[in-house]
Amino acid sequence: MRNSKIIVIMLIALIFSIKSFSQDNISPQRKLAIDSLALEKVRDLSKYISIIGNKQTPWSEANRVIDRTLELFTDGAKMGVSSINQSEVKYYGIRTYLERLMALNYDKVKIEWYNIEYISDLEKQPDGRYVGVITIYQRFEGSSGDKLTYVDTTKKDITVYVERKQTQIGGRIIGFWDVLLGDIRVTETKP
Amino acid sequence: MIKTIKHHFVMRIFLILLAATIAGGFAGCTSKKKIARQKAAAERTSTIEKAKTDLLAIINDNGKMSISAKEAKVAEIKALNLQDPEVDELILRAVDAINKQKKELQRLEEEKIKKQKAEEAEKATVAEQKYEKIDDYLESVVDSKSLDLANSRISETLKFFASPEVPVLIIIYQEADMKDYDRPTTIKKYLEYLKDQKKNPNKVNDVKYNDNGKITELELLKK
Repeated sequence: MRNSKIIVIMLIALIFSIKSFSQDNISPQRKLAIDSLALEKVRDLSKYISIIGNKQTPWSEANRVIDRTLELFTDGAKMGVSSINQSEVKYYGIRTYLERLMALNYDKVKIEWYNIEYISDLEKQPDGRYVGVITIYQRFEGSSGDKLTYVDTTKKDITVYVERKQTQIGGRIIGFWDVLLGDIRVTETKP
Repeated sequence: MIKTIKHHFVMRIFLILLAATIAGGFAGCTSKKKIARQKAAAERTSTIEKAKTDLLAIINDNGKMSISAKEAKVAEIKALNLQDPEVDELILRAVDAINKQKKELQRLEEEKIKKQKAEEAEKATVAEQKYEKIDDYLESVVDSKSLDLANSRISETLKFFASPEVPVLIIIYQEADMKDYDRPTTIKKYLEYLKDQKKNPNKVNDVKYNDNGKITELELLKK
């Protein structure tokens, strides 16, 4: 009896998933292009963070890049910050995080992101948006003088939202995919 | 006695008349069969002549008849099974003519496709050359060794645009007439993006100009 109930539930779920997939009407090639676009936004963020953190970047340039970086995020998105010296992960608004990054008390800061990949594919939600999770590894190096004073490697999960939108340009309607990054959560911190 | 003679006479007359009737009947039957044979022969001759005419029309056709019509006609004649040596020879010649026409059509089609491809390649080259200058300017921002040089190249590039707010559309995917874009940006922001990211993942796909020759819209395509 219990088994038959499970089978019925699974069948209903299967029917709904097939229906949802057929309604998408997105070819695998098109989906791949959207996946790549979201990955590229994360790579762009990685570069922006390294520019903002870089002590050689002029203050005005860093502020301009902060504005560009904020355009990548949803309103109210948070960034998780961890340290090997404390177990607690603190969450800041993106602007606060970037401004704190810019003001870090090191002579030299090097931030590098690598192994950027999906851990959860973009899936269509009932509100029409696609949501996925991209994971990255961040290596942070802070130096004072010639001495490397702090190093850590953090694994972070970034929620990605992709939404189909329209805008009018030159008198015609343009359909575009708006990729926005949500919260960035720390999942692992190692020296 | 007289009665017997009479009886014999009547019988003889009857037999003569019967023989005459049978002979007459046979003669009539023979005549009908002959007519039928003659008619059949005439019909066959006519059919053969028509078949010959049709086959000759196929052999001598200079493109007025379609290949399918010709094939249908040859099949129709073959089905008649006329067993006429001249018709059989004409059938072979007609099939040969159809095959030749098919080969010629195929050759023309291949030539047409080849020409189309060459034209498309030429157009693409022309388009690439046309936008090469803009691509070079975008690339120069990416390749700038210093911030000052990058800013100077951005200012230089902006001179070709109607304003720093000129829209830049980036195609991430296209299928037939459908185009998927990234979120639209402006030329100023795009040039700053090139400066910051030190990469140019796109190439120019289309450009719109105003009457002063300044760019009013830039469409890029993922490389």
